[in-house]
Amino acid sequence: MKTNIWKASKILAATAILSMALSGCQGSDSGSTTTAAPAADSATTAADSATSGSADDTTAASGDVTADVQKIIDAGVLKVGTKVDVPKFGLQNTGTGEMEGFEVDLAYEIAGKIFGCTAEEAKEKKLIAFQGVTAKTRGPLLDNGEVDLVIATYTITEERKESWNFSDPYYTDAVGLLVLKDSGIQSCADLDGKVIAVSQGSTTKKVFQEYLDEQGIDVTPEFEEFDGYPSMAAALASKNVDVFSVDRAILAGYNDDTTIILDDRFAEQDYGVASKLDNKGLAELVNGVVNDLKSSGKIDQMLKDWGIE
Amino acid sequence: MIKDLFDVKRWEAFLKVLPTEYIPGFIMTLKVALAGLLLALVLGVIFGILSTMKIKICQFLSRAYVEFFQNTPLVVQVFFYYNCLPFVIGGRVPKFWLGVIGVGIYHGAYIAEVIRTGIEAVPKGQFDAAYSQGFGYLQTMWYIILPQTMKMILPPLTNQALNLVKNTSVLAMVAGMDLMYHADSWGGDRNFFVQAYLPCALLYFAICFPLARLARYLEIRSKQIPSAKKAKGVA
Repeated sequence: MKTNIWKASKILAATAILSMALSGCQGSDSGSTTTAAPAADSATTAADSATSGSADDTTAASGDVTADVQKIIDAGVLKVGTKVDVPKFGLQNTGTGEMEGFEVDLAYEIAGKIFGCTAEEAKEKKLIAFQGVTAKTRGPLLDNGEVDLVIATYTITEERKESWNFSDPYYTDAVGLLVLKDSGIQSCADLDGKVIAVSQGSTTKKVFQEYLDEQGIDVTPEFEEFDGYPSMAAALASKNVDVFSVDRAILAGYNDDTTIILDDRFAEQDYGVASKLDNKGLAELVNGVVNDLKSSGKIDQMLKDWGIE
Repeated sequence: MIKDLFDVKRWEAFLKVLPTEYIPGFIMTLKVALAGLLLALVLGVIFGILSTMKIKICQFLSRAYVEFFQNTPLVVQVFFYYNCLPFVIGGRVPKFWLGVIGVGIYHGAYIAEVIRTGIEAVPKGQFDAAYSQGFGYLQTMWYIILPQTMKMILPPLTNQALNLVKNTSVLAMVAGMDLMYHADSWGGDRNFFVQAYLPCALLYFAICFPLARLARYLEIRSKQIPSAKKAKGVA
């Protein structure tokens, strides 16, 4: 009897390890599987069709697309992770359920390039499957292939570049500090012993310390990390924390008549489009789109349209 | 995942944060678990006994407490303490007390039920016999009923204690500075989730496993038929 139980537990353990190994493999192998490209001989390059806007269909993709991009074309949909709670950047319209914002538009530009159509057409044809991500989930979601791209106020850092591909920056933001009006906090110098809420998996904590050192401000605040902006806003409202500190783009969405954003502006940080480290071809394509938008000045127009400074 | 598991660089990174992040978190979790367990036991014994009393109001109080806390999620309770109590008491609830109150009251309700059923499982004749010998209510409880109850409730009680230890991890959701918070924070920061969660799980195991063994030992010991104490000086 005892040996039977022992055997059963060994089998259980073996299956557990096996399933772990399998699920791990799925993620890493998917990048290398190449499917025969049906559209390989349609000679128009994706770049041409995107700019001219005369693309006839999604089959207009060029023959020299890399395997990772071809895979997205074959799937017929680009999976993009965006924020769902950041006004002007990535926000889910609660009425229609549609995603809206600057980063969403950027995603459509990229989808247009991949599928060989314009951004508007990509939007009409619903060529993007959006998925909401947070500061913490965006990395793992890229790694396990749940999303192809993350365009979610994702700051480019050297450390992160070791884990994912980043495009050239498409927007530069800074971290800000949101406080309650009645707290009496005027600037960074008032923050000694105060509690600052920062987002889990973000760089805020590190860059704030650097800013203090640069400015020569000798205060030692405490940091508490939260998973999600609404819980940080709640913690500020209940005065469990004194300061809510994330990127200013995000703070703007939580600023109301009881709060103010301090003038302190630090750690300019660049947002980039992230993709899985294996997907080099996709990263190159994305970078091309970002740089085209920048050189043509279209990105400035997009920012202006969304009212982003 | 397997590749990540054997990544030496990542384990080195983990060892670096072990003393600065994990150990303080572990101590916090241990403190919250011990104090929480104490509170849960006190509440459990009080309300467990109240519910076996023949007085209506006592029974009602006990029922209300047990049903309310047993039938609402712990996460909701802790979020309530965190976000709503400051408005009531006009100040922050320290994280330690947040945890102690959270798991203490929640598991107190479960333990009250364990103790109630334990007392009710003692044959009624034991009460009658005790009363006939002139024991009062409390004396009967203390000398006759509870010792017998203890034997029976030890396994479900252990169950509650272990769950209590593990449930302290809800603190992580409100930046409770406990073990799970630090593990999650570091894991999210570096994206080294295997190295973050595996040692975290082992540290919880390090608390729970000895506790489970101790309970098992006590359980076995309580089942042994007590031998008569040897009187000294008797030939």
